[in-house]
Amino acid sequence: MKHAIEVRGLVKSFGEVRALDGVTLAAAPGTVLGVLGPNGAGKTTAVRVLSTLTSPDAGTARVLGHDVAAEARKVRERIGLTGQYAGLDPNLSGEQNLVLIARLLGASRRQARQRAHELIERFDLAHAATRAAAKYSGGMRRRLDLAASIVRRPEVLFLDEPTTGLDPQSRGGLWEIVRELVAEGTTVLLTTQYLEEADQLAHAIAVIDHGRVIASGTPSELKQTVGGLVLRLSPTRPEAAEQLVQLAEWAAGASARREDGAVVVPVAHAGEAQAVMARIGQAGVDLAGFGLHEPTLDEVFLSLTGHRTETDHQQKTKELTA
Amino acid sequence: MTALASTGPRPTTTWNTTRGPLGQSASMAARSLASIKHYPAQLVEFFMIPLMILLSITFFMGGQMMGSWQDFLQYAGPTIIAMGLFFAITSTGMGLYGDIKEGVFDRLTAMPVSRFALLAGRVAADMVKHAWALLVVGAVAFAIGYRAEGGAAGTAAAAGALLLFLFAVSWTMALVGLTAKSEEQIQTWMISLLMPLAYTSTIFVEKDTLPGPVQWWAQVNPMTALADTMRMFLGGGSPGAETLALLAWCAAILAVFVPLSLRAYRRKLTN
Repeated sequence: MKHAIEVRGLVKSFGEVRALDGVTLAAAPGTVLGVLGPNGAGKTTAVRVLSTLTSPDAGTARVLGHDVAAEARKVRERIGLTGQYAGLDPNLSGEQNLVLIARLLGASRRQARQRAHELIERFDLAHAATRAAAKYSGGMRRRLDLAASIVRRPEVLFLDEPTTGLDPQSRGGLWEIVRELVAEGTTVLLTTQYLEEADQLAHAIAVIDHGRVIASGTPSELKQTVGGLVLRLSPTRPEAAEQLVQLAEWAAGASARREDGAVVVPVAHAGEAQAVMARIGQAGVDLAGFGLHEPTLDEVFLSLTGHRTETDHQQKTKELTA
Repeated sequence: MTALASTGPRPTTTWNTTRGPLGQSASMAARSLASIKHYPAQLVEFFMIPLMILLSITFFMGGQMMGSWQDFLQYAGPTIIAMGLFFAITSTGMGLYGDIKEGVFDRLTAMPVSRFALLAGRVAADMVKHAWALLVVGAVAFAIGYRAEGGAAGTAAAAGALLLFLFAVSWTMALVGLTAKSEEQIQTWMISLLMPLAYTSTIFVEKDTLPGPVQWWAQVNPMTALADTMRMFLGGGSPGAETLALLAWCAAILAVFVPLSLRAYRRKLTN
């Protein structure tokens, strides 16, 4: 079997809305496929089709060689799912949640307790094992949720925005767990809004927008389509922006653009940013601030589609006015 | 940084316990009942409504309806308990509605678990609650003077008939819970369907006292079959047409509402 996940021309509509409009994806066994896109791009629908929760209108989706529509039962035997909203029983303790899942999957009482215990240790939940899941923090709930999806060690694991809303520390912890699972040979399909997350975890990335894959490749291939890094310059006087654009273009040989009073310069590497900064220093233009960062999802989007992701745009505006 | 090569064989789990839909239903039922451990006050809540219905109707209306509340208790006590528990089947609808809203069913649906078990587990858990409430309220009825001529065996048979009926009608509420748009909607269904059904039967009154057209309906009403069957067992009689009617109703309700509930489940969870 060449691909653990193989999706061709997947179409799914809800009334007038075409949530998936011909999506094609593939993931090799034992790798992480990152599906990157803004809210409403179709990520969750894709995960729901692959985890047998939604049947597609057209196209085919195979998981471990089984068609998700025709052989749903066989697919369910071998996958794990962590949805965007915690699939836990809030009235049960962390341990009871895991025991329930193990029992439903055919474990004896003893096996179920043993597996729950293992997972609770591994996911650092021992201190809260008997507490109701409703009283868990966001990070703990995500860990328990992930634990619940690997109770029977699935061969393919679907994670739908597993770290949305988590603080950076919890996010890092979750990434660590995903890496371990992949090291054990699990194939993971992960959806995310964060380029950094896809970059950290994924062997291959598919960028989707309006239900279509608009770019795919390895993280480095994708970043090359945007440029290596992004230098953002905020002049003290707004009138100086135009001068900054000219200086940056002259120094970096790239096309700088103005954005909400700031100037954004795509650069290939840090050295190029340094050259731009030196040039600005020589010209004596005062800066209120500057920053060098990896291209964001927004910038990948802008370069791929010519339009922005709404969430990122709002965030950026907030950062600038802050 | 992202090159995560596989480093060895994937650990596998071999669980081969054969647990069919019934075992899975039991796990799901245990899950629904587990919240009692966290909120033990629920044990009282389960029987409060049927208890209050029994006591208030018996003491405040019984005298006027039959001369003395003692006579009324003897005639209608058990069937009023049945009506109180009948109203409690709304919990099946509310429970399923809540389960679906919380997202736990999304995960369960993507697992190789019987769909029937996911619904039957909730119904089974509610049956345990109804049995508990029946035990408590039945004991209160005995304490204030109710006596069954049929003795312990007759009482057990009447309780069995009631629980069978509750099991069947709980599936109508399962369908309501799976298709309702809001919790208020479930309450509305309860009031507008269950109450008229109860009041047009022989739960409280003898059939002859009902107005003409209602008499025909009271005759076929499943609650009448239930009330008559309970009275027959409690009176020490032997099963006849009323018991057959009750069994037929239960079979018919299950035959219609179990498949409809499963269909509603598929539509709701796998759209």
